[in-house]
Amino acid sequence: MNGALELPGDVKDRIRELQELEKRVEAGEEGARRELRRAVRESTPMVIARCADVSGKSRGMLSEAVSGGRPLIKEALEAKAEAMRSEIAGEDPTPLELLLAEDITNQWLVQEMLGAFYAGQFQRREHKGEREHKGATISGIAFLLKMQESAHRRYLAAIRELARVRKLQAGAPAVQVNTQVNILGSG
Amino acid sequence: MAWEERGGRLYYYRSVRDGERVKKEYLGRGELAETIAHADETIRRHREERRAQEMAEGELLEDLVAPALEVREAARVLARASIVAAGYHRHRGEYRRERGA
Repeated sequence: MNGALELPGDVKDRIRELQELEKRVEAGEEGARRELRRAVRESTPMVIARCADVSGKSRGMLSEAVSGGRPLIKEALEAKAEAMRSEIAGEDPTPLELLLAEDITNQWLVQEMLGAFYAGQFQRREHKGEREHKGATISGIAFLLKMQESAHRRYLAAIRELARVRKLQAGAPAVQVNTQVNILGSG
Repeated sequence: MAWEERGGRLYYYRSVRDGERVKKEYLGRGELAETIAHADETIRRHREERRAQEMAEGELLEDLVAPALEVREAARVLARASIVAAGYHRHRGEYRRERGA
């Protein structure tokens, strides 16, 4: 694990505290919800600020990895990630929505990075005038596929989380999508 | 893959998997056996190098993904805690408003 890019210990402690309190509320403990409200209020700004910090640096590293050191591609990826993040966050987002938008963008970038790496395993490339094949092993490919699968699951989970938070914030009923098909008579 | 001594002479054998069993394949001795042994050794070394390279690449990928994983976990916990704090509880994977919350 890259030490420079870990969440600080006090943030991890706050996250653990929130998890514990949530469990106590779910278990029906009296007064736990009040305590959780206080903890959420106190922890949210600090956790979000530190996450944003780690997240920004992480995006830089991931873009660098996807671009393979080509500055133009790195810049384009970072611009796309930024546009994606602000589009997902929408107008006037809450701090939590911002964090979740950041999370979705990160997970998308992780998928891009793994996809680029996976494609590289099958690429034939010129090396000293000769064609060279990387020849990935079966276990290597299996490892990569597993990583991609997990990344995709996390990406979908992050999207679901934001949708849930928005739905509950708005107190709106579940979204129902109806499709109308108009069939025009030929005669 | 090994050279085995029989009656003061070295003979080259290699192990071949046949389903669940591993069979020993006799390849003889002399120049041809030495050439095959050399080729086997080259292939084995190449595989080992590739495996070591893949392990290093795997570790690098995990390092790259780790910060995004930490943020994911923090976002997940904060989102759930906020929902529960706002008066919801989980019921069969769905959140429902707690009565009187």
